[in-house]
Amino acid sequence: MTSRPEHLPERLALISDVQAAQYISAGLLEGRENVPSIALNKAAEVLPGDDARLRLHRVRDLIDEALLRFGSGRPTVADAWLAPRLHETLRLTRREAAEKRLWTYLALGVAPDYVVWRHLSEPKADGSRGRVARDKFVGPHYKQAFARLWWAAELFRDGPDYRPVVAACGNQDMLNSALRLDIVDHRPTALALVGLMERGVVRTGRDVNALTPAVNAAAATLMYDVIAPDSERDGDPMRDWIDGAESALPSLRGELPDGPDEQRVPAEAVRILAAHFEELFAEAPVRGRTSDDDR
Amino acid sequence: MRAYPYPRLAGAVTARVTAVRLRGSGDSREKLDSKAYSVVEQVVALGMAERDDWQTARLALTATVPAREIETKGHWSDLAVVAVLTEGATNARTVARLAPDAEGGRDWVGEIEFDRDHHLDRASLTVHVVATVDGIEGRIIGSTDQEWMVDMSADAPLRDRRLDVSTVSFTRGAEWLRSFRDAPWVVDTSGRLPTVHLNSDFEGLVALVEGQGSKVESVVGEMLLAQMCADVWTAVFHTAVGDLEIEDDGTPLFPPDWRGAVLREMLPDIVPGRSDEDALREVYIRRIGEGSWASLQPRIQYAAARRAEVPQALAGTVRDIERLDQETQA
Repeated sequence: MTSRPEHLPERLALISDVQAAQYISAGLLEGRENVPSIALNKAAEVLPGDDARLRLHRVRDLIDEALLRFGSGRPTVADAWLAPRLHETLRLTRREAAEKRLWTYLALGVAPDYVVWRHLSEPKADGSRGRVARDKFVGPHYKQAFARLWWAAELFRDGPDYRPVVAACGNQDMLNSALRLDIVDHRPTALALVGLMERGVVRTGRDVNALTPAVNAAAATLMYDVIAPDSERDGDPMRDWIDGAESALPSLRGELPDGPDEQRVPAEAVRILAAHFEELFAEAPVRGRTSDDDR
Repeated sequence: MRAYPYPRLAGAVTARVTAVRLRGSGDSREKLDSKAYSVVEQVVALGMAERDDWQTARLALTATVPAREIETKGHWSDLAVVAVLTEGATNARTVARLAPDAEGGRDWVGEIEFDRDHHLDRASLTVHVVATVDGIEGRIIGSTDQEWMVDMSADAPLRDRRLDVSTVSFTRGAEWLRSFRDAPWVVDTSGRLPTVHLNSDFEGLVALVEGQGSKVESVVGEMLLAQMCADVWTAVFHTAVGDLEIEDDGTPLFPPDWRGAVLREMLPDIVPGRSDEDALREVYIRRIGEGSWASLQPRIQYAAARRAEVPQALAGTVRDIERLDQETQA
């Protein structure tokens, strides 16, 4: 199996797709090879400054802890644990998080072993090896191994409260299908979707895969922002939280950490949308749902 | 054309930015000059600010809605006019409600405020008219046809973006460039914006492209630039098509960033006479091997050359060479 990089520098860095391409070998994608970490770090561009957020070991410690806790079990379970903690450790602005080269560096330079462990598919019936999809290293935000967790935490948190993130990440279909849709950029919509899961209205992957397209399609004619307005955003709590990174304790163990102290999503907005989505779901075609299961 | 199960506005909804204010740390404030936004281009260029450490921007907006149609048809109640600012790269979405300037009037005014940290590059601003229709609340009954672009760093309010050209030594520059050491230029489409890397080791090239030399050099330089642009368009097109996101039902989606803009720009020349969506589907089907990908190549080259204005540049070069010949003979 691909192992922990031998060389881990002090600070996080950036690496472009073009540069990354030469390190994403077929052997790495099959989990047989390591990333040549010294060469990789030569090609990477180290992030300037002395910001505590950019210390590499903070992220690596988190990855080590995740592997320790979940390494012998089902890898998908680790998402719900890692997503909020990765978000809380990195403390990025969205502008910073839109930098793809940072995520590529995390996957190749900081934790290729984690990417392989988490995303290596089962060997096929014909005996061919399992593989990690290339886009787990260099893909869009809803596919890349770490970007998807960070964005899930950013889009599903309720202000400082990461509990909805844990719920969303507990269902791979919610994580995979909702994250790529623009509708979750509206916070009450994101929380209403999670709410339906938590209440058991939608349970299986098939349920989720019926719900999210229905909600998305309805958004073409309905303005959820008017039906269920979010509270106004204030950038100060986020800036304070980022400034507090220096003195923050690592969020490794124990309780779920707190996110930035932003306004919570109005409960009434979430309730209105949840009721609306429940109606949409009742009418949506679910694969394998027969009329007997229908409520 | 999309069909809607409820009545929508036939008249146009338009919007314009009327003022831009920025706020930085320590409560510093700046009102941008009106040159920073263009009603013709529908672009706001926030790079024209005096200071680049601003934290929030506030845009004043006026939207014009077909008020008479709303009144006479009478399908709609609880009218709301909302401005929505989004950026795909940061999943950002900011919404502001506008208010009628005068009771029953056509103009609705308001302000939308957003954080610099919530945006990367370019956000798009749309205005929607929302109403209760047939007892259903929150229906979108009309939207602006063309969105405004809010560019976080541009220093001129232009919709089209200038090509990013960087001059680097391929032998001493970034590692991946070393394998291209004999090439005059390389197009890199992996970044936020496509970039042309000009090889400074290639003797005389930079002077040619910058057009600082003799007449002959400037004639050739222009031709070279057009050729380079054509390379960029071709490379960008292939990058965009090679990296499409596909819906569960197999429908390819336009990428949210410049790749999508490039596709929309080039598709009418590549698959003429079709809607953007149909044209994209056609290209995608050919790309994945159902139908001929090879036969599409001349059309891609044609579209790229047209965008890069290669025919004009070539015609100009031929004319200039003739003129130079005459001068030397005289």
